[in-house]
Amino acid sequence: MNEIGEFALMIALATSLYGCVSYVMAARGNRIDLYLSAEKIPFILWACVAISSAALWKALLTDDFSLQYVWAYSSRDLDTFYKISSFWGGQKGSLLFWTLLLTTYSLVVHIQNRKRNAMVVPYAMVVLMSITTFFLLLLNFSTNPFEIIPVAPEDGRGLNPLLQNYWMVIHPPTLYLGYVGFTVPFAFAMAALITRNLDDSWIRLTRKWTLISWFFLCMGNLFGAQWAYLELGWGGYWAWDPVENAAFMPLLVATAYLHSVMIQERKDMMKVWNMSLVLLTFVMTIFGTFITRSGLIQSVHTFDEATLGFYFLGFLGVIIVICTALILTRLPLLRSNNELDSFLSRESSFLFNNLVLLGIGFATFWGTIFPIISEAVRGVKITVGPPFYNQVNVPIGMVLLALIGIGPIIAWRRASWSNLKKNFVKPLTVGLATAAILYPFLPLTNRSEMYSYLTFVLCAFVMTTILIEFFKGTRARMDLHHESVTESLGSLVWRSKSRYGGYIVHIGVVLIFAGIAGSQSYSENVEKRFKIGDSVELKGFTLTYERLGFIEENASKTRAIAQIGVYKNGERVWTGQPEKEFYKGQNQPVSEVDVRSTWREDVYLILADFAEDESATIKVYVNPMVRWIWFGGWVIAFGTMVSVWPDRLELRRRLERMKVQEAVFSPAQE
Amino acid sequence: MNPKKTKFIVGSMLIVGAVAYLISAGISTTSQYFFTVDELMAQTVSYEGAGLKIKGNVVNGSINRDPDDYLKVRFAIEEKESNLQVVYKGITPDMFQDGGEVVVEGTLDKEGVFHANVLMTSCPSKYEAEKEAGKTHPGSLPLDNKKGLESEGSGSKPKTSV
Repeated sequence: MNEIGEFALMIALATSLYGCVSYVMAARGNRIDLYLSAEKIPFILWACVAISSAALWKALLTDDFSLQYVWAYSSRDLDTFYKISSFWGGQKGSLLFWTLLLTTYSLVVHIQNRKRNAMVVPYAMVVLMSITTFFLLLLNFSTNPFEIIPVAPEDGRGLNPLLQNYWMVIHPPTLYLGYVGFTVPFAFAMAALITRNLDDSWIRLTRKWTLISWFFLCMGNLFGAQWAYLELGWGGYWAWDPVENAAFMPLLVATAYLHSVMIQERKDMMKVWNMSLVLLTFVMTIFGTFITRSGLIQSVHTFDEATLGFYFLGFLGVIIVICTALILTRLPLLRSNNELDSFLSRESSFLFNNLVLLGIGFATFWGTIFPIISEAVRGVKITVGPPFYNQVNVPIGMVLLALIGIGPIIAWRRASWSNLKKNFVKPLTVGLATAAILYPFLPLTNRSEMYSYLTFVLCAFVMTTILIEFFKGTRARMDLHHESVTESLGSLVWRSKSRYGGYIVHIGVVLIFAGIAGSQSYSENVEKRFKIGDSVELKGFTLTYERLGFIEENASKTRAIAQIGVYKNGERVWTGQPEKEFYKGQNQPVSEVDVRSTWREDVYLILADFAEDESATIKVYVNPMVRWIWFGGWVIAFGTMVSVWPDRLELRRRLERMKVQEAVFSPAQE
Repeated sequence: MNPKKTKFIVGSMLIVGAVAYLISAGISTTSQYFFTVDELMAQTVSYEGAGLKIKGNVVNGSINRDPDDYLKVRFAIEEKESNLQVVYKGITPDMFQDGGEVVVEGTLDKEGVFHANVLMTSCPSKYEAEKEAGKTHPGSLPLDNKKGLESEGSGSKPKTSV
């Protein structure tokens, strides 16, 4: 089976190379024979990669330690669940996983566009095939997952215990689904540039791809944060590590793109901008992969296995050169026919939202690569950490939050005074009222607390603008159709899904902002060496260390559990049981934190260590409002689902457009 | 150029300028010099009081915990040619042990003792999986806050009672 897997990878490489050539020929000439053969390529390619993946999965599930990869990331006593997930636990497997997703997406693009968009799709397929070829070259010649150990070991090294967590099982694939997904809009944008077919058809064709990839990227980031929070046990969820930044930057650029395309669709403007953003999103996904695999950027756990990173750097260079050249040569065609009418208009609020999002992206980028730059320029390596990102990104983020409120209620083209008055008075009143109400309760002793206070005020303002939108729409329907509140609200959202889905996403974002503001400024912690019966007070809670117990779970795992009684106002509200797990063969124990989560705050317990006399070091955090962040994530998920849900009206519109397109671009007419 | 366009350019420049200002101010107030122990000792300029991030290996047998305050620890880190005394208060990470590679963040005092407020460890063999997975770098989180601490008499299996 391993030989089959390896062989399938070789066939896949040959197929994708052939695919590049035949799609180009098919697209350029009248070679109907090549066009027909190109038709089958996505299927063959997908089948080869799928066979190869199946082979690796089988090796993992059957404990075939003759494979170096299986030996390195699995072991006999690993849960089946984690055996499946160790597929993407290491470098080689994760590249194969990436290729599997890429070929699957290519296949979907192919099936979606059968017999339509014949002008653009072959070129988009060329781009997809070229990228697939790059990954297959790596898999075949540099990081082959089917590398054999001559004498198969008895047992594997096992998966790192820190990765044995359900968030860790879903986090990487989610992120990859997003990362790889942006290849499709990229491919269509390139195809549009190559064919000089630069109206907004490529944007419409890839709208859902962009939204869904954005969604996965967003969820991937949140799942990662949740994993860090629950599994790493340091009381936080985001550390501005280069690796986190790598996933965060494409998300920012993609968010900017999602907004600015609306202006192109509506006003036929900002074509160069949109084109650049979609190309930049893809470049950022590759850059992120480069960062995480090169070891060039000082992160404590990057090592000197630089070669793969430099393949990505080369690939990145080629992409940037091609994109720049294409945009520059097509510049006259990308000139827009309109211009912005007024400073106070929705268009300009979109423009500013884009600048702000890119500002956060650039600050993050700059901080991430600053050690390299400073070493090259000044000869000294200078690093920046979380304080830098907090100092820079928090104020910019607050401007962004304000724009979330302003954007949707300011008028298109030119906002009149009456429009401003009508739409802004209520939200501003609510914002100011919130400011007044919160003022006596919130401490304002340092910058972070002031930022958080302002963020809460802005959240109230933005939330009001969004709720008013829902309220107004519902009210209008109730009057017009004499429906009940729920009926009106339902059909309001149902009839313009993308608009109201977007508003729901905004609600989720506001909740996340509020959660971050609450947990960043008002979090408190205490670490203390306890003897049995000792207590500590923190933010109104009294915590008593009651006992220490041990459980031998199975032959390979022993758990040490501390029991902590948590009291509030003299009443016992919770019994916390943070643990430390000892795995056989791993000299590093793994802590399992225990968290009591409410809307108000999380009580977060870490058993740091313990001694023979049952004394233990325990660290306690009280983190306010963390739950709002995770809940905000689910609201975003729901909103995105509403947005991408197939819309009958939209479908009809698109069918009509397709008829027109087909009449114009069918290959028979070429 | 028409005045409308000028207005947009001015507005955009304001945003770009504000971001640029925040970045440069952020870098000048929060950045840390990154040296290995040998590099630090080879510096001719004094870095006393400046924000520093130093990489080195823990000198064997140098880890010394304060008997009165369990959370206070003194140790030394070394490279090929020189070593550095470090004081740290807080929970120490799991892989903090003799010979292990660590990164400390903090400042140097007049006597050349390093006062660390962050202590991070590298653990090649164990974290390789995550490094390669690419998406998960727990080690780069500030380990002073991090979970995973050594058990007393590190290495010995815990007794099994309950």
